[in-house]
Amino acid sequence: MKRLWVAMAVFAAGLSTAHAEDILIGAIYPLSGNASQIGVDAQAAVGVMSDIINTDHAAIPMLLGKGGGLPHMHGAHIKVIFADHQNDPQKARAEAERLITQEHVVALIGSYTSATAATISQVAERYEVPYMAMDNSSPSLSQRGLKWFFRTSPHDEMFTQGMFDFYKAIGEKTGHPVKTVSLFYEDSIFGSDSSNVQKKLAAAAGIKVVADIKYRANSPSLSAEAQRLKSADADVVMPSSYTSDAILLMRSDNEIGYHPTIMAQSAGFAENSFLTSVGTLADGVMSRSSFALDAVKSRPAIPAVNAMFRARANKDLNDNTSRQIVAVQTLADAIDRAGSSKPEDIRAALTKTDIPGDQTIMPLKGVKFDSTGQNTEATPVIQQISGGAYHTIYPFDIAVQAPVWNVGK
Amino acid sequence: MTLDTVLQVALSGLLMGLIYALVAAGLSLIFGLMDIVNFAHGELLMLAMYATVLLNAATGLDPLLQLPVVAVGMFVLGVLIYRCLIGRALGVQFNRGMVQIFVTFGLAIFIRGAAQLAFGGDFRSVNVSWLGNKTVHFGGVYVPLPQLAASLVCLVAFAALLGISRTEFGRALEATREDRDAVALIGIDRDRIFALGWGLGAAAVGIAGTMLATFYYVSPTVGANFALIAYVTVALGGFGSMTGALVAGVLIGEVEAVTAQVLEPSLKQVGMFAIYLVVLMVRPRGLFGKI
Repeated sequence: MKRLWVAMAVFAAGLSTAHAEDILIGAIYPLSGNASQIGVDAQAAVGVMSDIINTDHAAIPMLLGKGGGLPHMHGAHIKVIFADHQNDPQKARAEAERLITQEHVVALIGSYTSATAATISQVAERYEVPYMAMDNSSPSLSQRGLKWFFRTSPHDEMFTQGMFDFYKAIGEKTGHPVKTVSLFYEDSIFGSDSSNVQKKLAAAAGIKVVADIKYRANSPSLSAEAQRLKSADADVVMPSSYTSDAILLMRSDNEIGYHPTIMAQSAGFAENSFLTSVGTLADGVMSRSSFALDAVKSRPAIPAVNAMFRARANKDLNDNTSRQIVAVQTLADAIDRAGSSKPEDIRAALTKTDIPGDQTIMPLKGVKFDSTGQNTEATPVIQQISGGAYHTIYPFDIAVQAPVWNVGK
Repeated sequence: MTLDTVLQVALSGLLMGLIYALVAAGLSLIFGLMDIVNFAHGELLMLAMYATVLLNAATGLDPLLQLPVVAVGMFVLGVLIYRCLIGRALGVQFNRGMVQIFVTFGLAIFIRGAAQLAFGGDFRSVNVSWLGNKTVHFGGVYVPLPQLAASLVCLVAFAALLGISRTEFGRALEATREDRDAVALIGIDRDRIFALGWGLGAAAVGIAGTMLATFYYVSPTVGANFALIAYVTVALGGFGSMTGALVAGVLIGEVEAVTAQVLEPSLKQVGMFAIYLVVLMVRPRGLFGKI
């Protein structure tokens, strides 16, 4: 009898290693430290998309929903191995190297903060493995002449263009245009890239920047910064902050009786914990987004995918998690079309990507990469918080509610 | 810059400074008593903040009412930390200094990891409270009520700590600090005094955590945002001096607020460290240090 058990155990062990055809992808996220919840949510989002790809989800109307596994790869499954960069660019570099050399992944995905994406993409370039930036938004990432860098979602220049397009449209519609803005951004690649673009586009639109405030991330207090914003009294305050500072900014403004119109560069402002922490203080806050949970009409896959995500993470998809899902989908599609798990074949297939927007869950026109690896068809939306949730207000043709616009009143 | 702005900046600096002082009080107490820098100070603060947020979510009780509960809980935790870890570290024969550093450092990493495991990485806040997000204003100068309450609690806590130092127990603390071996000769149980000192220090940081949770977010790494400033506060005020911690806290709060107004806000800690360096050069024992 004992022998039988041993034999069965050996057989089972053989089975579990028999998935030789699994395609290994390395994901690098903050799983501990200040941004760890982002990584935990990313695990859920990547898990949902892997599940949709690996098993049959014919009822979900999107690319790779139908059928189990990758059709041109004899139904091979994708398997994503997660590593923790702790929001530290140097740890991100080390983990990227480990995933490539020890785990033999064929592509890397990640990584939330742009500072970590900068080091990961350098490693990917050196080892000639594709890096798919899922939710990194600094424009400079795709402007370094990297061959192995790809990004499905808009970068901050495209996002910010969306904000200024909105200012123009709402100004014409209401007769109250934006004349002045205050910039408020953390001292990181994300903050400085975002504010540089905002300065450039403000100048082009003839909008005056009346305060330009770079602050230290995770400060014990932002009251002095809020005071400077109040003194500048711009039509719109444009923050680029992660969750902790987004919460603190809303409270610090309130503590000195300042209630500005806010147009956020998403990031922390898109997070569920931001919405629950600040409650009604956040009403009226606007943010750019690459995702519109309410765009169900034009993106019919959203409800089913959101339900799957909700079952794992107990929250709705947001700006970050939706981008992760579409990035995994795009990468899997390229591997499938390549019919090969060799990094150079995957890269070649990625450059030929052409996914129509309605095959994804994002409101973008489609996915098509230019020579820098940037998706040129990524179009953002503008959303506004009311009743504790974001609702799409621009472009007007897919808006679900009219904007609340207090500028000039 | 208008008069309102000047007053607002001064007030914000004062309120924040008193909160820094409150956070530093427990650290100063423990250091003054036994020359041990508690590197887990920020993590104890974080635990107290979580206790407040979770109790508030479970019972709906206002954080101000939870103050005694959290303080007592943290007192017990402080005593336990001394009995299980610090007391043993004091007893080692070799490299005692290093062991004492690493024991609290290790404790810090352990508590942070455990908090991440138990509470997750999400940012949380007290959602139901009397004072939450409320302000009163005099002309153009706004006073946030949660910070005002925290500042008043800070003053009361410092008064209480100074009061304790005048009691029999306080004198025993003082004597133990001066000569930990000699006190045994007059029948003072050194371990008991140290354990109570740790309890008091942890209770003080517990009070700080509860007050902080009324206006600040909580996450497993939140302690780090305050711990560095607490160390500077204690060193600037003079190790072991309560009055020093209070004065240094307010000084740091004001310097920070003013620096953020006149320089780029990302450099606001520069002013604080500049003052610290100057004091170190001119008066290495800190503003009110006795040693």
